[in-house]
Amino acid sequence: MKLRELLTKLRFLFARKRASDLRDLDEELRFHVEQSVQAYVDEGIAAKEARRRALIDFGGVTRTREAAYEQWPGWWMETVLQDVRYALRGFRRNPVFTVTVIVTLALGIGATTAVFSVVDRILFRSLPYAHDDRIVSIGLSQSLEKQEFMLGGFFYEWRDNQKPFEAMASQSTGPTSCVLAESIPTQLNCISAQAGFLPMLGILPVLGRNFLPEEDRPNGPRVALITYGLWKSHYGLDPRILNRLITVDGSPMRVVGVLPKEFELPTLQAADVIMPLALVEAEKQRTQNGGIGQPMRAFARLKPRVSITQAKAEMEPLFIHTQETFIPAEVRKDFHLSIRSLRDRQTEDVQLVAWVLLGSVLAVLLIACANVASLMMARGAARERELAVRSALGASRGRLIRQTLTEAFLLSMVGATAGLALAQGLLMVFIAMAPTSVPFLDKAHLDLRTAGFTVLLALVSGVFFGLIPALQKPRSVALSARMTHSGRHAFLRLGMVVGQIAISMILLSGAALLLRSFQKMETQNLGVQTRGVMTARISLPGVRTEPIAGLVSKKGQTQKDIFLQVEAAVRRLPGVGAVGWSDSFPPGGGWQNSRMYSDFAVVGKSRSSERSGGLVRLRGVTPDYFRALNIPIVRGGGFTEEERGSSELFMVLSRLLASRLFPGEDPIGRRIGMGSDGTTYTVVGVAENVRNGGLSEQDIPEAYWLRRNVAEDWGVPVPVMVFDTVLAPATVSPWVRSQIAHLEPMAPIEIETLNERVSKLADRPRFETALLGFFALTGLSMAVIGLYGVTSFLATQRTQEIGVRMALGANRADILRLIVHEGARLLLLGAAIGVSASLALTQLLKSLLFDIGPRDPATLGAVTLLLAVVALAATLIPARSAMQTDPMEALRCE
Amino acid sequence: MPRSVQPPAPSSSDLLQGTLDLLILKTLALEPMHGWGVALRIQQVSKDALQIGQGSLYPALHRLEYRGWIVSEWASSENNRRAKFYSLTAVGRKQLDTELANWDRMAEAIALVLGRREATL
Repeated sequence: MKLRELLTKLRFLFARKRASDLRDLDEELRFHVEQSVQAYVDEGIAAKEARRRALIDFGGVTRTREAAYEQWPGWWMETVLQDVRYALRGFRRNPVFTVTVIVTLALGIGATTAVFSVVDRILFRSLPYAHDDRIVSIGLSQSLEKQEFMLGGFFYEWRDNQKPFEAMASQSTGPTSCVLAESIPTQLNCISAQAGFLPMLGILPVLGRNFLPEEDRPNGPRVALITYGLWKSHYGLDPRILNRLITVDGSPMRVVGVLPKEFELPTLQAADVIMPLALVEAEKQRTQNGGIGQPMRAFARLKPRVSITQAKAEMEPLFIHTQETFIPAEVRKDFHLSIRSLRDRQTEDVQLVAWVLLGSVLAVLLIACANVASLMMARGAARERELAVRSALGASRGRLIRQTLTEAFLLSMVGATAGLALAQGLLMVFIAMAPTSVPFLDKAHLDLRTAGFTVLLALVSGVFFGLIPALQKPRSVALSARMTHSGRHAFLRLGMVVGQIAISMILLSGAALLLRSFQKMETQNLGVQTRGVMTARISLPGVRTEPIAGLVSKKGQTQKDIFLQVEAAVRRLPGVGAVGWSDSFPPGGGWQNSRMYSDFAVVGKSRSSERSGGLVRLRGVTPDYFRALNIPIVRGGGFTEEERGSSELFMVLSRLLASRLFPGEDPIGRRIGMGSDGTTYTVVGVAENVRNGGLSEQDIPEAYWLRRNVAEDWGVPVPVMVFDTVLAPATVSPWVRSQIAHLEPMAPIEIETLNERVSKLADRPRFETALLGFFALTGLSMAVIGLYGVTSFLATQRTQEIGVRMALGANRADILRLIVHEGARLLLLGAAIGVSASLALTQLLKSLLFDIGPRDPATLGAVTLLLAVVALAATLIPARSAMQTDPMEALRCE
Repeated sequence: MPRSVQPPAPSSSDLLQGTLDLLILKTLALEPMHGWGVALRIQQVSKDALQIGQGSLYPALHRLEYRGWIVSEWASSENNRRAKFYSLTAVGRKQLDTELANWDRMAEAIALVLGRREATL
């Protein structure tokens, strides 16, 4: 029976005799009615009356016909095809409408999809770990280092006494570069992690195994896990990689496993090789004495149903207890317990950027949808008569709604397909201009998930703008020839235009604020010369693993010797001016190169009691550093070449630091003690302030210590070179490169202009500004098109009225006023709503802004003006054509 | 078909769900018939108590045909008009038996509930 049913279905589906089936059905029904008529006639009723009664008895032939038809399987396919054909014919007749709708949708959907695929990883997509929602980053936070870190002593005590976590494990603070000895040595990133690290994350190697606990101890067997990427690029996915000995930084280690393809460190740092962290359990004792303990990064997996807040509350007493054991009382205040979700740790402030971008792109989509809905409504009004005719002919409401929805779906699907292509293009642009500080951006791509999102968007927007024009019942009034376009959807359309203006106002305000802030950031005075300044960073391979001063390279030279030879070689180059050394470049520098203000003890003064006096940036430089960067020495002489040979220690203070340490005094010749070992520096100069807190942060006081020509001054922090030149960077780079290669053939060198470096720092704000600006302009143009559409629609509707007015003596200026007045009212209302919403919403941007308030009146005023000018221009076009109305023509068209 | 004086008959929508199908199958079990014939026959046999709304007759016929319980063919009617005749298939006959058995069970059950009959067990 099932088979039979199936066969019948198939027959119905493929017989392709729909037309004849329908004819059969009609004939069958006609036969019925005629039999009925005959029966009445046989009763002696007149033929005409008999037919009337028979039809009444039957009740709705069309209805029955449709009901019978709908019993056939696949009948709906026929009607869908019909609707599709009908819609396509309509689109062909009205190409401008069709193209406008598709382009608008493609823009909205494309931009949204591209942004979604970028922010998806930042905001929504689960992390590639089992129980990813339960993984937290745990540690101490302190003013020097905002990212939580862990210290040896803390780690053991917490791990052994904690209750809220299932597992806790740590990795080293970050990857270090290491060299894999192959036929061509390759520079890799190596990191160490505990044996419990991968199990805590819920990661299993795809090949081999994790470290064993007995391998994760000092002087244990040398083993390593390698990433899938390294396995692929260096070993061609060869399964015999297991148990193979590879040589990393000169010592052999056994590969015990390969990490999964999608593996990433919780810190998102790049690493190719993972080695056991091999913590010394006795570390605990050592840290008690030393006071600091081995720094590392710790992560933990919460027990099920334990929240982060709970975990924090439970860990707080333990934190306080451990702190009392390890941290000196006077600095305790500066340490805090930090537990946060891994997602927060990974994305930090980017989450706000992501939400802002997603919000603005959704606003653009909303504007696009409103525009399309508005277009559909305008078309709906024009087609009202057609719909009314079809309705009168017996088409059901459902049928008409289905027709409109089919049209909307077709348009949105084509729009979505075009949008998908656009998204792909936009994504390529995003990635090309991507700053490295936006995590995951480089990995963003269109996949099933984002494509699904696009389809969903298309469906939702399809329903949204398909339903609005279909919702109202076609009125029979529309059948009358005298029908004029009434404002039946007018209120909705006007409302949408007002909404569009308001939304684009908000977008524009946000973009303008970011733009102003970015400009201020770009043009701020850095206090250093960036033009014509070049920077070079040299990694010395022989002494890389333990860059301790005085360590001897293969050639028997110390680091100092090599660096000084490099300096001399670069100095000899023609066109090169001052050559100096530093350990970082302004603006910026990093916390590794900072000290607490309280560490500075002026000899002869009582030590500062301020424990949280903030940070002081420390840079180890040579005398020419100031000349190369054109930093003026405002007091004293600064460092001299002679002092490099001295056994004494010298220091130059920034103006800010000098005024804090020596208020109203002359600092030259004074001595400053640093650290607990009693080393003191003599102050030999005061340098002008330099922006060294990064582009967007507060200025940080700075102290320069002189790198002398002794081995211990050339270790950590590893020096970087800075020099000024009148020649083009493209000319100088190869020279410098070859000079250094001559001295150390294996040393990797990075040469960059300082301009490039500074410009990289502004990558993020530039990216945010460009994106938001793009969305704002897209939104604005769509809103303006919408306003234009509505104004011209209203103007056409009033053609007759205008004709009458002109016939009665109204001049062109009156007509202009009439039309512009209409548009201006919408504009004013939209702008008013937009401004008030902007005032509330731009507040969210506060942390992204530099040197400008989120309610900067000048910016908001300029934006309002821009919007007003553009929008008024859009209403002038229909106004102009209304002014050219020929009164006779207008009156005749009635 | 005389219908001048007629008590308001229950329309097919008042019929028990599925009863119309059963009635059609039972009617066609006697001989192949066209739609008009089916309606007439049911009305006559039920002594005008059941008047099949034509609006639901044809959808039902098409539904049954699609299920494979009846088949149709064009033939000449009594008055030599072309009409579509429906006849029961073997599957349809089996279905009729099933539905009749169901009907009996149901009728008995309802009778029991209404207390019109003693339990036969």
